Amino acid sequence: MLKNYLSKTVLKRSLALILLAILSGCSSSASVRIDQEFPTVLAKPKAISATVVFDEAFATYIAQPNKKTVIDIGAGQVKLLSNAFAGLFEEVEFVSSLEESAGENSLVIIPSVREVQGSTPSENYLNVFEVWIKYSLEIQTADGETIDSWFMPAYGKTPDAFMASKSRAIEEASIIALRDAGAKLMLDFYRIPAIYGWMMEQKILEESE
Amino acid sequence: MKPTINHKQFKTPIESLVKRLIERKSNSNNSHTKLYSSLIMVALLAGCSATTTIDEYRPSDEPIELNAGENVVVLGRRDAGHYETDRDFINCVSNRMRGADIGVLPEQQFIDSIYPWFEPRTAPKGLPRLKRLMQDPLVKGQVEKQSVRYLVWLDGSTQTLDQGGSISCAIGPGGGGCFGFAQWDKLSVYEAIVWDMTNLQEMGRLRVDSEGTSYLIGAVAPIPLLTPVKSDACSSLGNQLKSFFTEQ
Repeated sequence: MLKNYLSKTVLKRSLALILLAILSGCSSSASVRIDQEFPTVLAKPKAISATVVFDEAFATYIAQPNKKTVIDIGAGQVKLLSNAFAGLFEEVEFVSSLEESAGENSLVIIPSVREVQGSTPSENYLNVFEVWIKYSLEIQTADGETIDSWFMPAYGKTPDAFMASKSRAIEEASIIALRDAGAKLMLDFYRIPAIYGWMMEQKILEESE
Repeated sequence: MKPTINHKQFKTPIESLVKRLIERKSNSNNSHTKLYSSLIMVALLAGCSATTTIDEYRPSDEPIELNAGENVVVLGRRDAGHYETDRDFINCVSNRMRGADIGVLPEQQFIDSIYPWFEPRTAPKGLPRLKRLMQDPLVKGQVEKQSVRYLVWLDGSTQTLDQGGSISCAIGPGGGGCFGFAQWDKLSVYEAIVWDMTNLQEMGRLRVDSEGTSYLIGAVAPIPLLTPVKSDACSSLGNQLKSFFTEQ
């Protein structure tokens, strides 16, 4: 009798656990943290020295694209951009505030996040989860003169999969968006007209070509 | 060299099974009942079979030269706005090719090693861009280091085209169950383009279309009769790509 009761209880609890596991896959809220390593960029850096300021707000940035989604991209974006800037400049110094810099480098770059947006299949009517990260790069000379304030958008998407969790999909899309930010930086940084002009002025282009 | 254009319509395993059953019947004295019950069973399952068509174009019927130690990388195109060539499909095709002793590098390993030049934003969409990219000694060196001889670009997706019927499930103190009938059509369309990374030229292209209908019958318990459309597209494409590199 007792054995029968116990086996029924175990069965009920197992069923409840299975149901819970299935329902957690359908959860509509997501909270993810991106702190994984990113690959080193394959590029020859130019003979330029730069100071990159990752201030506390940037290094601990937590995005909330909507009420149900929280993406902690602070650590991830610092790792990613550190790699990318090391591929752009021969000498690069990373500091958490401008005061920490020795002031010997020819460029100062202060990245910041303007906005993070996200969308799910129920919002975009497509079978993809999407994440947009809009960066702003304040680029200055060593004297503090602004060269440009460059808007750098990045985009990532990941396909919707049956029973896959929303958190996993948002995490994937955020990683792809961060990688896209690195690609955009490597592809377009030296194409910024103001940077190109500054390099011409400094006679850096002739030296590196 | 004369180019080859092939169009093949593949028989699904179910169709082959029917043919084999009929052939076996004509060679044996088993009762009609057994044959008919088998055929009814097969007919039920045949509703779940996919029709797969492959179109291929390549410069010649000869297998593409792939020396020992040289590798192939299968990459998914991810620059389209409304869909994404999913990684499971890429892995499935890669595994199919690996089965034929073709060295296939994992997609992510290659993309990471050459970051950021094969990201959705930066990946070369045509041969002129690839030629320019390969002029970079760092990129060329990394490709050579991994002995990558061919790139196979896969582009496509699997979509649900049409859905019909309805099924409802209920549960109460006396028990529960599902009643009704639902069906949906799926279509997988994928294109593969093979690039030679040494001679920087296109070696051929393939297109696979696979279509089928799946059913869900609610008779107290839900009975799914699923058509493996994507799986059929993967196996057909993988086998055909194998024939690009090996003697059949």
